[in-house]
Amino acid sequence: MSTHIAGVGSTRYDAFPESSSRELFAEAAAEAFQDSGVAPADLDAVYVGNFVADLVEDQGHVGPLLADHVGAREAASISVESACASGGATFRQAVQAVESGAADAVLAGGVEQLSVADAEHVTDALANAADDVYENEQGLTFPGIYALLARQYMHTYGATREDLAAVSVKNHENAVENPLAQFRKAVPMDEVLASRPIATPLRLYDACPISDGASVAIVVGEAFAADHDLDTSVTVLGTGQSSDALALQDRAALDRLPAAERAAERAYADAGVEPDGVDVAEVHDCFTIAEVLALEALGFYERGEGTRGAVEGETAVDGSLPVNTSGGLIGKGHPVGATGVGQLVELTKQLEGRHPNQVDGAETALAHNVGGSGASTTVTVLGGV
Amino acid sequence: MPAWFDAFAEAVAADEQWYLTCGACGEGTLPPRTVCPDCGATDLSREPLDDRGTVVSFTEISVTVPKFHGETPYTVALVAFDAGVTLTGQLRDATAEDVAIGDRVALGVERREGETPVLTFRPA
Repeated sequence: MSTHIAGVGSTRYDAFPESSSRELFAEAAAEAFQDSGVAPADLDAVYVGNFVADLVEDQGHVGPLLADHVGAREAASISVESACASGGATFRQAVQAVESGAADAVLAGGVEQLSVADAEHVTDALANAADDVYENEQGLTFPGIYALLARQYMHTYGATREDLAAVSVKNHENAVENPLAQFRKAVPMDEVLASRPIATPLRLYDACPISDGASVAIVVGEAFAADHDLDTSVTVLGTGQSSDALALQDRAALDRLPAAERAAERAYADAGVEPDGVDVAEVHDCFTIAEVLALEALGFYERGEGTRGAVEGETAVDGSLPVNTSGGLIGKGHPVGATGVGQLVELTKQLEGRHPNQVDGAETALAHNVGGSGASTTVTVLGGV
Repeated sequence: MPAWFDAFAEAVAADEQWYLTCGACGEGTLPPRTVCPDCGATDLSREPLDDRGTVVSFTEISVTVPKFHGETPYTVALVAFDAGVTLTGQLRDATAEDVAIGDRVALGVERREGETPVLTFRPA
């Protein structure tokens, strides 16, 4: 029995200080209901990916709150928190609920509303994804964690600042055409290299922004789709998830992401797809180095070769493996709990042939969503017609 | 600040730092652990930790969180000890310009009034 994405919806990603999680989530859900033909009353469950609503909006218990706001007050609702991988983990829970037969139709959404608090408070809240005592209290910031990975990677493989910056240039360029993206302006290489340092060797344009936004996918089983005469052009071929130590100091390696390797291995096996069978991918590029490490963990490149993707144009929209055609987290934005679902919204559009940066003939797509510095990772493989 | 880390920092200040070693698989780990993360055994014992380690990676932080405001730029390093454990701390008596991956450093600690102590590394 196969599991399908019946429809998707998403707000634009940006700063919406006049909005709230409930408004953003409902906006994305309304679009997904319209896109899918599924009604709120049809839902067995509403799963909500969210990271810090309790700390930023003083609002916990967002599962039932947001189920109520999408017109599904009586559905089984729960929030799923896995830091920046909350969205990917939420979607995977929805898929497993349908695959197990426990549910026929599940709304898998994600939301984050960060611009209602000051930047310092938000930074502090987001830092909760790291080990508080061994990392945050020692002065290690979130960009700092990825900077440690970048430094080690550059040391091991001889990669340069320019090699990393090429990822930022590509993803900003892709965001220009995406109406859902926060930054719709190309950023040339020299601007990335000259942007202000945040944690050496990483600079401001090596990083994704802080964003608000919500994204929703409606996941249904085959029988439900047939009964409701739904268009199910997108199939969930496989999912995988794995974890690692929270603190970087407890990891086996700094120049690779073992949790992503394991998640990918499981998702590929589940889907019966090899890395070279993927036509388009959205990967978690919270920092430029993260995209490079992702490309290697997902089996697209050998270790130490991941920088080739952006530098040689292989991961450009017209390259051999387009990556982050949405603009990625760097160009499109990163409303933490929404990001993983947002990737699936983008890939659904690719598979349906209606993406603003359409990849010709895209039939198999992969999403990769990371929590913290790699302590949790989900990988999803989707197939189109 | 958590009591377990306070006790660990106190030991570092007295140059009596220690780590945990697993009686079953030999894996080194840091407190507080009840279960070996490598093999799941609970047979963990304290062993003295030499204060010298090797820089694995480092970064100069320019944008930081409230606790360290007014202290930027400062350098955070990951330092691997021969016993098989790695610690995160701030570089002292040297800047990011002075340090390289592979350098040897010595572990120390700074107590902060009402705050979690900060581990430090000095060129050694």
